[in-house]
Amino acid sequence: MNKGNLEKQFADHIIKNKERYYRLAYSYVKNVDDALDIVQESIYKGMSSLPSLRNPAYFRTWFYKIVVHTALDFLRQKNKTVLVEEEVLINSDSGTCDTYQNIDLSRALDTLPAKYRTIIILRYFEDLKIEDVAEILDENVNTVKTRLYTALRKLRIEMVDDDEKGRICHE
Amino acid sequence: MNSNHLDQLKQEYMSTPIPRELDFVVRKALQKSRHKSPFDKIRIAAASIAAALALVTVGVNSSPVFAQALAEVPVVGSIVQVLTFRQFTVREDNFEADIKVPKIQGLENKDLESSLNEKYLAENKKLYEEFKAAMEEGKEKGGGHLGVGSGYEVVTDNDAIFTVKRYEFTVAGSSDTKIKYDTIDKKREILITLPSLFKDDSYVEVISDNIINQMKEQMASDENKVYWLDGYVEEFQQPFERISKDQGFYINADGKLVISFDKYEVAPGYMGVVEFVIPTEAISDILVGNEYIK
Repeated sequence: MNKGNLEKQFADHIIKNKERYYRLAYSYVKNVDDALDIVQESIYKGMSSLPSLRNPAYFRTWFYKIVVHTALDFLRQKNKTVLVEEEVLINSDSGTCDTYQNIDLSRALDTLPAKYRTIIILRYFEDLKIEDVAEILDENVNTVKTRLYTALRKLRIEMVDDDEKGRICHE
Repeated sequence: MNSNHLDQLKQEYMSTPIPRELDFVVRKALQKSRHKSPFDKIRIAAASIAAALALVTVGVNSSPVFAQALAEVPVVGSIVQVLTFRQFTVREDNFEADIKVPKIQGLENKDLESSLNEKYLAENKKLYEEFKAAMEEGKEKGGGHLGVGSGYEVVTDNDAIFTVKRYEFTVAGSSDTKIKYDTIDKKREILITLPSLFKDDSYVEVISDNIINQMKEQMASDENKVYWLDGYVEEFQQPFERISKDQGFYINADGKLVISFDKYEVAPGYMGVVEFVIPTEAISDILVGNEYIK
């Protein structure tokens, strides 16, 4: 495939799927301007490494990976504390009975550490295969599976079933 | 968790508001990176000017008559100047544009003067048209905000050279900045290009190596600085290896060569536009002369 053709396909792919990439970027930074910045920077990176990509069939996995890395770099550099790290989550869990007025589902997702949240997003919301999620996150398939189960378990803790009337107990 | 909850979460995720600016930002980024081919038309022009300069150098050295003739060419002095030729301003709710088109005046070489001025006009016209199209689309769909601006600044103006810096920025949520320089030899009235300053192409490697060392030093002493260097970038990314032959440059008031990179060119966006002053010792062996760079 010649260079111009690959660039054209890349551009078409990005324009068509821009909202997917934006949403993923936004899930990390929770801020419109920063998310746009990440999308923009990812496109530059993608274009510059396009020659190393042989098969346009991998565009999606490959570009998700770029977006994830760019977002993580961005957070590291900006030193933003938008993400709640796992340790914080564990520490804030008092282990006794907590009362919740009304659990906001999206907040439940937001309180998941990024490495769990991204797996949920990519696997269930973007319908990617476990193998592709592993590729995007540079992890092996088993690690991703384990994290996926952990993430689901954590979400179940965060969410209250309707019949429990806003009260949840855990050890 | 039942699948109902997961569906609900998915719906929330999928309804993340998409800003109106996304389309513009994406298209602009694609367009900019696509046009950044290492081989473009400027290269050809640069090469021919370099050849003309080489001819002058040879002429001065080899023929006393030629040297005499050159000495009699009246020196223009510092009457070269730049002023605002035209300004476009738009101020509407969420759309702002402030575009200043520079115009060079005072050159005897009218071909050079008009080719520069035509280039400035064309660049700014393009910026304005892109802005107008995005604004109309934004209005049609309702919402969105966009700001563009351009302007210029005289960076260096001494007996030998005159450098105009032009900048162009776009703000649509995130921002992007492009900077370009034109350096004119005031006595000869020619445009100085990067290749024309050097004896041969080896400058690309010499300057790139120097910049890479400077990047490494900066990264070692300041952890907030990040450059995309080999060993520091992810596998999907092309590390910075060398400058392009016609990389943006200017000669500062101290007579030092300064190499400039646009936002995102060699570093993450938060680093903005970056510049490196090249120590003259590093390039003195390969410079054509020490007329401009000291």
